[in-house]
Amino acid sequence: MNPIRKQRLYALIAVLIGSLVATWLVVSALSENMNLFYSPTEIKDAKVDEVTLIRAGGMVKEDSIIKDTRTLNVTFTVTDYQNDLEINYEGILPDLFAENAGVVVRGNLKKDGTFKAIEVLAKHDENYMPPEVAKLINEDL
Amino acid sequence: MTPEIGHILLIVFLVLSFAGGFLPLTSVYLNNQTFEIPIKKLAFSLFLLIFLSFLSLVYSFLIDDFSVAYVSQNSNTNLPFYYKFAATWGAHEGSLLLWILAMNAWLISFMFLTKCSDKNFTNAVFSISCQVMFSFCLFTLLTSNPFERILPIPPLNGADLNPSLQDIAFTIHPPLLYFGYSGLMIPFAIAVAAMLFNVDTKEWATYSRPWTLLSCSFLTLGIALGSWWAYYELGWGGWWFWDPVENAAFVPWLLSVALFHSLIASQSRSVFGKWSILLSIFAFATSLLGTFLVRSGILTSVHAFALDPERGVFILGILGFFVIGSLLIYSLKDFKKDEVKPYQLSSKEFGFLLNNLLLVILAVSILFGTIFPLIYEAATNGKQISVGAPYFEIILFPFALALGLLQGIALYLSWGVTSSFNFLQRLTLESVSLFGIILLVLFILFDNLYLSSFATIFLACWIVAGTLQVSKKRNLNYWNFLKKRLAVTFAHVGMAILVLGVGVVTSYSIEKELILTPGDEFEFGDQKITFQSIEDTLGPNYFSKSANIIFEDEKDISSVVTEKRTYTPSGQLTTEAGIVTEPFQDLYISMGDNLEADIWSFKVQIKPFIRWIWLGALLIAIGSMLAGLNRIQRS
Repeated sequence: MNPIRKQRLYALIAVLIGSLVATWLVVSALSENMNLFYSPTEIKDAKVDEVTLIRAGGMVKEDSIIKDTRTLNVTFTVTDYQNDLEINYEGILPDLFAENAGVVVRGNLKKDGTFKAIEVLAKHDENYMPPEVAKLINEDL
Repeated sequence: MTPEIGHILLIVFLVLSFAGGFLPLTSVYLNNQTFEIPIKKLAFSLFLLIFLSFLSLVYSFLIDDFSVAYVSQNSNTNLPFYYKFAATWGAHEGSLLLWILAMNAWLISFMFLTKCSDKNFTNAVFSISCQVMFSFCLFTLLTSNPFERILPIPPLNGADLNPSLQDIAFTIHPPLLYFGYSGLMIPFAIAVAAMLFNVDTKEWATYSRPWTLLSCSFLTLGIALGSWWAYYELGWGGWWFWDPVENAAFVPWLLSVALFHSLIASQSRSVFGKWSILLSIFAFATSLLGTFLVRSGILTSVHAFALDPERGVFILGILGFFVIGSLLIYSLKDFKKDEVKPYQLSSKEFGFLLNNLLLVILAVSILFGTIFPLIYEAATNGKQISVGAPYFEIILFPFALALGLLQGIALYLSWGVTSSFNFLQRLTLESVSLFGIILLVLFILFDNLYLSSFATIFLACWIVAGTLQVSKKRNLNYWNFLKKRLAVTFAHVGMAILVLGVGVVTSYSIEKELILTPGDEFEFGDQKITFQSIEDTLGPNYFSKSANIIFEDEKDISSVVTEKRTYTPSGQLTTEAGIVTEPFQDLYISMGDNLEADIWSFKVQIKPFIRWIWLGALLIAIGSMLAGLNRIQRS
């Protein structure tokens, strides 16, 4: 074979292998790490098992934050002004977590309808609202 | 008056950059001298205009002119003056001004430092750069004017700079990053100009290489500083979050690294000419895409710019114009065939090809994961998802592994064909010995070995051994040999140190959250930690609760303070972590919530080798800086 052609063939094979491996990686990694977002209303009819990681969010209800002083357990309620969702979390809450502020949590939906959060998302800016939450509120207005 | 002067200067800049954007090209195409303008003088005037305009904004900040809307949103009388200065680029509007300034600085440097005989080519580079700056300036004036006034009644005081941005790393992180992004304009302009005037691959690659290296160096510094800042300022001890904003910087970084490697081959062997052109276009495009994603607010990110969809559309328009325009030129052009010497599978050329393939596929996969939530939302009619960090880690690992293995042998390869692979034996021997030594050190330091870190640690050893090439040159001239390759040695060893840091910190870190009252002691790792006392402190624009903590092990005692600050103008709460830095590990403690009277929660972490990540990045930046400056001198 002519050396230039041979060289092109090598390049082509490398590109093909590379793209195939990448596609396979992307598809498999994505299917395992895609977290759907649910609002408190949507989560009522959601068919999610207890192990699937999902995200939920809304505004933190006034007077709903209960902190345990001996453990790091905390319970609070988020709302989309139609339905509420009770959230349990063990750990330190982000600085910008507050009543009447938007919040997004990641975790599992338990059988009793409460949410076990493994992560509560913090934002840099107090005025910043997670787009998911902003959308929920705008839909209501 | 000053803001108005700044505003007018910006408008003059707009007009002049528009003229610069097409007059030189017109004069070349019509072959008509009447349109010819002195481009060096014009470049210099443009720089002066944007510089003065920027200064006038700085001045408004320093004198607390709250009638300027941008100042009133991002400053406050109690803000220390150095943060007032830095607040100039603390939000969207001012950072755009800095961006244009940076682009202009690059253009001037290019025009005065790169000597090329082809006047048409220089004119074209100048024109294309002017078009880019014009579009940015238009964008600033129409959607994000930093000089807008609040009249007739200006506020008495400003809303203050976002507290987490009131920090030394923050004052330098954005400028470095913007210099990195905007520097990619030069390779882009060179690539388009090269297409327009049929410049030889060898020739334009020679012009482009130093500027690609320098932008890459700035990008590296900017990203590393951002990571360091996030580590200590956000108060949770992470150093990389796979946040869309980080990815938006990481993708152009990967492409710029791919580009300057491909340019080496283009310059030395005339190969990959068309590929280098495409890479130049896409490196520039991704730097714009990043801006679009961050500032249009369509992606959820921890970086909160004031969001405005209209801005997003505008940036998308700029992006579309330059990408479609340059790709159109690319597809319509008849590339003349470069004289290329054939290369074998074992050649250096093929090494560069693999390097580029891996970097580009990695960049595409990361970009895909970053924008996938948008695709999904559009496809499912509004269903929202997020892509978790594990996705990116799963993608990164195999590609990083392949890149590292390639990096180890890359410097041994020769152009055309590598005659012998005898070096592999010695390279393996050297890296295995180094691997053994590092494992021993880790075992002595931490009494533990984690299987999960072996791959990355070995990879680091492999890269170091392959970079130093002790086996190849074992004579007295070894130091001369290294000195000649100072830049590449710095950069590649830096990469190894970074990989080592990442490997160790990922496997060896420990963390715990707990509840303490003053006087409490507890054991953590090999440390005894005491929560000594808590007190109220007062800063210029905040008040805080400070906890005094003592870390104690067999050798030393160190005391640190971690704070919970409340910034008075905004009422915003921030956490200041207390960090003890030792050569091989960081002791990290941050304050959590106040649960009751003096009872506080804390998060404590030990992070071995974390500093090595930034040290590695610094070496990479120095390496590419040296390489870039060297090439400017030579050309």
